[in-house]
Amino acid sequence: MSAVPVPFRAFLDVLEERNATARITDEVSWDLEASAVTMLANETDDRIPIFEAVQSRNGDVDARLVGDPYRGPQRRPWEFLGRAFDLPVDAGPAYYEGVIDRLREPVDPTVGDPADAPCKEVVRTGADASLLEFPWPYIHHGDGGRYATLATLVAPAPDSEWGSWSRHRAMIHDASQASLLLLAGEQVPNLYYFEYEREDEPMPVALTIGAGPAVECTAEMWIPVGRSEVAYAGALQERPVELVPCETNDLRVPASAEVVIEGRVMPNERLDEGPFGDYFGYMNGPRRSMPVLEVDAITHREEPYLPFCVEGTGVGYGQNSSSTFQAAAGGPDATLGLRAAGFDVELAVPWPFTSRTAWVIATDRSYPGSLHELANFIFTTWGMLHIDFFVFVDGDVNPLNPRAVLEAIALHADPAEDFHQFGVERMPKVPLNIYQTPDEKGSATVGTSKTKTAKAYIDALSDGNRPKQAIGDEGERDRARELLAEAGVSESAFEPAHTMELNR
Amino acid sequence: MTAFRTHLEFLRKTDELCSLERPESPSPQVVAAEALRADGPAVRFRAAEKSHVGLASGVYGGVDQLTRQDRSPWTRLGIGLGVDRDPEYVDVLEAITDLGDRIDERDVTYVERAATATDRTVRELGLPTPPDEAWPHFTLGLLSVGSDDGTYWAPIHGTVLDGDTIRARVPAAIRERFERGESVTVALGVPAEALAATTLLTITDRLSTPIEDRRVGSTVPVIPTAGGLVPSSAEVVLETELATQQPDTRSEKPEFWERLVDGATVTLDVTGVFARDDAVVPFTPLDVPLADDLQLVALALAARLYDRVNGYWGVSPVDWLLLPAAGRLGICIVSTEVLYAGFEWQLANFLFSRSDCFDTVVLVDEETDPHDLGRVLGDLWVKAHPSRDWLFSEPDAPVARLPTYERDGTGARLYVDATWDPRWDEEYIAPRVSFLESYPPDIRTAVRESWTAFGFDSEPDDVGGA
Repeated sequence: MSAVPVPFRAFLDVLEERNATARITDEVSWDLEASAVTMLANETDDRIPIFEAVQSRNGDVDARLVGDPYRGPQRRPWEFLGRAFDLPVDAGPAYYEGVIDRLREPVDPTVGDPADAPCKEVVRTGADASLLEFPWPYIHHGDGGRYATLATLVAPAPDSEWGSWSRHRAMIHDASQASLLLLAGEQVPNLYYFEYEREDEPMPVALTIGAGPAVECTAEMWIPVGRSEVAYAGALQERPVELVPCETNDLRVPASAEVVIEGRVMPNERLDEGPFGDYFGYMNGPRRSMPVLEVDAITHREEPYLPFCVEGTGVGYGQNSSSTFQAAAGGPDATLGLRAAGFDVELAVPWPFTSRTAWVIATDRSYPGSLHELANFIFTTWGMLHIDFFVFVDGDVNPLNPRAVLEAIALHADPAEDFHQFGVERMPKVPLNIYQTPDEKGSATVGTSKTKTAKAYIDALSDGNRPKQAIGDEGERDRARELLAEAGVSESAFEPAHTMELNR
Repeated sequence: MTAFRTHLEFLRKTDELCSLERPESPSPQVVAAEALRADGPAVRFRAAEKSHVGLASGVYGGVDQLTRQDRSPWTRLGIGLGVDRDPEYVDVLEAITDLGDRIDERDVTYVERAATATDRTVRELGLPTPPDEAWPHFTLGLLSVGSDDGTYWAPIHGTVLDGDTIRARVPAAIRERFERGESVTVALGVPAEALAATTLLTITDRLSTPIEDRRVGSTVPVIPTAGGLVPSSAEVVLETELATQQPDTRSEKPEFWERLVDGATVTLDVTGVFARDDAVVPFTPLDVPLADDLQLVALALAARLYDRVNGYWGVSPVDWLLLPAAGRLGICIVSTEVLYAGFEWQLANFLFSRSDCFDTVVLVDEETDPHDLGRVLGDLWVKAHPSRDWLFSEPDAPVARLPTYERDGTGARLYVDATWDPRWDEEYIAPRVSFLESYPPDIRTAVRESWTAFGFDSEPDDVGGA
């Protein structure tokens, strides 16, 4: 197995080796200022800010903030994660295949001694555990409160020894309570709404902050029921994730996590969640009622890092941690999942300008109706809540190249025959969207909009009628690129190539 | 007016141009195509042989706007048109439109021809030969046809068959204006005004008016030649006669204007070659992404539509209109105020009725910046409701000209309404997440002032609202 970093701090070392961080020693406030710096860095593709001195009213914990640490470069968002996992980073398709190969061989976690666990350097339980000791950032003007946005929630899983791991944000309410964004349709929210709450039982959970890149990546993936995300995190880093038991429940958490918040999601209790500047790039509203996390214990490292994501900046040209996870983890996972389900898919990748709402899939038309079947499969499984559109392009077109995709939509998608809707407003939608009115979103008890939406796919396959992308033979093009590089054109500017063949 | 060589100098000073020695191999067309693929700068090829002219590619195009850049597809042409060193998009569109406008009184400026007679043949100029082809090509040329009424300009490109023969493509509408044995002149390396106006007039079927009666005729200093007036500053001038033997078939790859109007193939006998000292001429590889001929048509067509759409309803609701070269003009994006419910339908269908190039129109709100195509390519999916705002016509419309799906007879049109519904209450409108809208002024100022001290390299002012 390769020597690859496991903990969050080792990931920061990877960034620092690439000169990709800015350690800011001036005092910066958690109240909008740290987020403003991070947003500007995200939008300008600049270094990742590490705030060494954070103004805090309480200041009991000498915590440091890290703004969107997982954000990759705009042209190659997978690059830093790829370097951390020792995967190919120059070409997107090669990185995807590297992740897919790793995910084929899950590695079960190990359980370590809590006495040696960094995440137990400080242990506070009961009334001694206070969320307000930490400088949770207030991210956008108009947000409903301060947020933990880069958090992996560990929850029970009926058929997995290691629990279920998924990403959910938490809005901090007071020392012992936060509201969790739980949207029905996803596995952990379903377990809460349709099992624990119906039984009037609290669901034990642990909210981990700074659990490291492998855990954060797999928390973004759609892992089949019966398997555990943490085993796939082990696969990604080619070594087991070391876990330790929680203090107040039976769950296990990553030993290297910066902060672990143990607690229970209470049945039939709700607190406001939102408004929030969400991944759509807009503030969504109105406030929603979301389940309550009641804190039982907080354990953490000394001087912990609190990584956070400035949501809403992973749209357009910008990247943030969420959009990077989609491109670098969600995409390979989806590709693998679709192949495993029997679909002839080359690559499935999120459209880089939306983070989640639209995806591009490179595939050939295996048989009449195959695109419909493929879209139908995704819309009824992992793509149900967040994805509204799929764009299908030729199997050899590189979906990581937005120029290639835009050209395919503009030239090959016939409005009369190639745009397909799955009925009109029959499908579920997260209430975070901005195209429904507040009345249409309503206040559904399980976190989906009251009004349904539509889903659509676009057949932008060329059927053999694709315009030329380059001239000259391969040797001539290589020589041309050498000459241009000598004249000052960056070699990375030639990536991603239009076709995957050129990229591999 | 900016002479072509001055245009190149401006591009060099604004880091829009790199230079390299013209290689033996590969062909300059291959190098130019790769530079375009990389969103790279314009490329100046220094002549390797004394008799050869210098070459420049990417002078009018490049840059696809699919990553954040401080350059735009209209930057290089805008510099050539003298708009600004960092020209605003709409200013470039308006400059192009103005050049094509009719004027009431002729005001032609005659200036001595900069190019002088040379004993070199056209073959000896060393124009570039595309890969897998035997003869040198010229592109981005200007054909001048004189008449008693004045001079007509048209785009021309073609092949150098031997020392004194070229076979070229010209608009069919201009071909009708000269006969066998008559003189016409080809100019290479002309000012951007001349090329942009010629492209505009060609694709809008307005070649029947002499250029002296258009604004371009009073903007670009000219000189009479055996054919007609040509820009005085042209780098290379070829005086020719229409050959007695004419080809029966076309054999040239098309420049992009030929996708919008009919072209004709002509054989021309070169009777005189004139070149400036250290002449340099523009060229573009054909039929590759982001090529100059494509970008010239994209900007000229956008200029025409922008002008039409803002002159139609008595008000000017449209902020800008863009035909991304990356989409090879199969899609049109328009930033507009929605004047009233249903205006979006009216606007989209007005555009369909004024151009048969595209079958898809995307409407975005008026505060969207034309530099920020990334935002458009996000709003398209998140702001437009998948069923209510993706609106298709019945499939009984004419099939659009530029999309390549095969379809006979009729087809459908699509417009995507990614604007806010004017019927919505104000409180329904979701505020954007942005540096400008998500942070108060004091924080924005403090961050900007500390930016470099914090250890960042980028220019925060380049981000909208920063």
